[in-house]
Amino acid sequence: MTSEDFIKALVELDEERALELTKERVEKGEDPLTILEDMRKAADEIGKKFEDGEYFVSDLILTGEIFNEIMEILKPLIKEKKVKKKGKVVAGTVEGDIHDIGKNIVIALLEAEGFEVIDIGVDQPPEAFIEAIKKYKPEVVSLSGLLTEAIESMKNTIDAIREAGLRDKVKVIVGGGRTNEEVKEYTGADEWADDAATGVRKIKKLIGAD
Amino acid sequence: MDIEELRKEKLERLERALTCKEPDRVPILVFNDVFCGKYSGYTAQEIYFNYEKWKDATLNVAKNFNFDYIFTLNGLEGMFLFASFIEKAPEVAANMRFVTGPYHQILQDTYTRWPGIELKEDVHPQFIGKEIMKKEEYEKFIEAPIEFMHEVALPRICENLANPASIEYNTTLTRLGAEAVNYGNATLQLIMELKNIGYPFFPMAHSYSPLDFLGDFLRDIRNVILDLYRDPETVKEAVEAIKSHLIKTGIISGTIPPEVKEMFGTELIWCFYPLHLTEYLKPELYNEYYWPPLLNVFKETIKAGLLPFVLFEGSHDAHLETLRGIPKHSIAGMFEKTDPRRVKEAIGDRMCIMYGPPNALLIGSTPEKVHDWTRELLLDMKDDGGFVLFPGVDAAGIAKDAKPENINAMIDAVEKYGKY
Repeated sequence: MTSEDFIKALVELDEERALELTKERVEKGEDPLTILEDMRKAADEIGKKFEDGEYFVSDLILTGEIFNEIMEILKPLIKEKKVKKKGKVVAGTVEGDIHDIGKNIVIALLEAEGFEVIDIGVDQPPEAFIEAIKKYKPEVVSLSGLLTEAIESMKNTIDAIREAGLRDKVKVIVGGGRTNEEVKEYTGADEWADDAATGVRKIKKLIGAD
Repeated sequence: MDIEELRKEKLERLERALTCKEPDRVPILVFNDVFCGKYSGYTAQEIYFNYEKWKDATLNVAKNFNFDYIFTLNGLEGMFLFASFIEKAPEVAANMRFVTGPYHQILQDTYTRWPGIELKEDVHPQFIGKEIMKKEEYEKFIEAPIEFMHEVALPRICENLANPASIEYNTTLTRLGAEAVNYGNATLQLIMELKNIGYPFFPMAHSYSPLDFLGDFLRDIRNVILDLYRDPETVKEAVEAIKSHLIKTGIISGTIPPEVKEMFGTELIWCFYPLHLTEYLKPELYNEYYWPPLLNVFKETIKAGLLPFVLFEGSHDAHLETLRGIPKHSIAGMFEKTDPRRVKEAIGDRMCIMYGPPNALLIGSTPEKVHDWTRELLLDMKDDGGFVLFPGVDAAGIAKDAKPENINAMIDAVEKYGKY
């Protein structure tokens, strides 16, 4: 029952209730991984509502906030446990762009869905992405950017990943308000998304975890 | 045709289209920033920091392309300054609507990042924003918004205004005033030189969407959205508190001396509104907290004889119905991600619609494709007038890497298919 209520509170973006239920479940000694699994289910449903036009960006921002608040409670409890992650994603905003609202929503949703996300930050040059690919060996690299100029940076980054011989080791998604099918083609990415929910769905698809 | 006739022809074309009448052909209205720099061999840093190069690059593009209007933005969002100073010092504040590179150097504001300073020299400057007002300070803001801007916000926004009444503080304001005069002079020179090569000019007033003011300058976007879910009534009060001042801001800045109107031969005065939170907000929030106060500001500035020139940034698909509430033929709006055909379908000829090829197309496509795209747009949109071609809708103007041959293909299409 608590599990259903919890998912319902999350999907309805009832922040107070969701946090209250989290604390209740933790106090009862429930396995935090079960709570995480419920968050994943809720994230999935919220993403669908967004793509159906029922939810808007403001709802995703609140979702990210609620998920972060819950993760703050769960993180210390999960630390000792060996959690099998569903996949690894390196995410960053490309060189010359320092916007990160979209990137941060994607990360919050991905983490709620059970992915490990390495956030390399904003205004990151191609070398930073290459270094992170070498170090973390992610399945997916997510390039964010809001500015029109970010498109050029995304292309440069993907070109550099190719030149470093790493392009066939990772899938690449470009995300941001100015991306579209042409930008995907132009930059040589595998996927694109101009909203966070679609981005998460496509990343799951790229990893084969959908 | 002599230059003055050419200018009058362009002026009338724009005036008619902007006020929803049928002109001789669809006008091409161009906003840009570093495009003219790249085209003229200047870096972004030079365009944003050097007024001479900014003027030179703008004139160069104006001469080489057959546009009807050109405006080269060389600053970032500066409404926090403009709104703070316009009532007491309109003659100087008029030049503070945008924060230029030199203003940033003087103020050391924490909102923005600039080429050659915090960023590489050929990168676009960026407005990031910051949480300036804490949640518990809403009440103080609501009590006296402009006093709050001066006493609390500006010292937090600008590092060099951190200590009111200090030597540094006074020196900074003195420098800012002097720089505003420099910038005003440079702007006036550019406008006159554009006039001399046949380009019209409309005086521009400035107001703002009340909720955007809170999101952009005080709480930051993420926080103001969370506030709307957690404590909407307080946000509403804050919106009401700043609203009357923003109306005043529009009216004061739109009070143009008769000799200026005469010089440019027009009664049309724009009131500029870039809208930021529209795409973020779900209709329940938009219809309650964003749109009614904004519509109120629109109506008051229209009453004062101004024509709201509105950038509907992001997607406006979820909010099209609200546009039926605007007074007929009294607003011109550019739509970034909403198909203008949908706007026309939803509201008919209620407002002037501005739209054109996005930068994705101007950068990555071919002249043939741009030509065809523009032709299709014109055939669908130009009937009965009230349509302006505005290239680069996805960046509020032509972006740096747009290809000149694609821009020319767009102009050709307008000349062929844009005539009435």
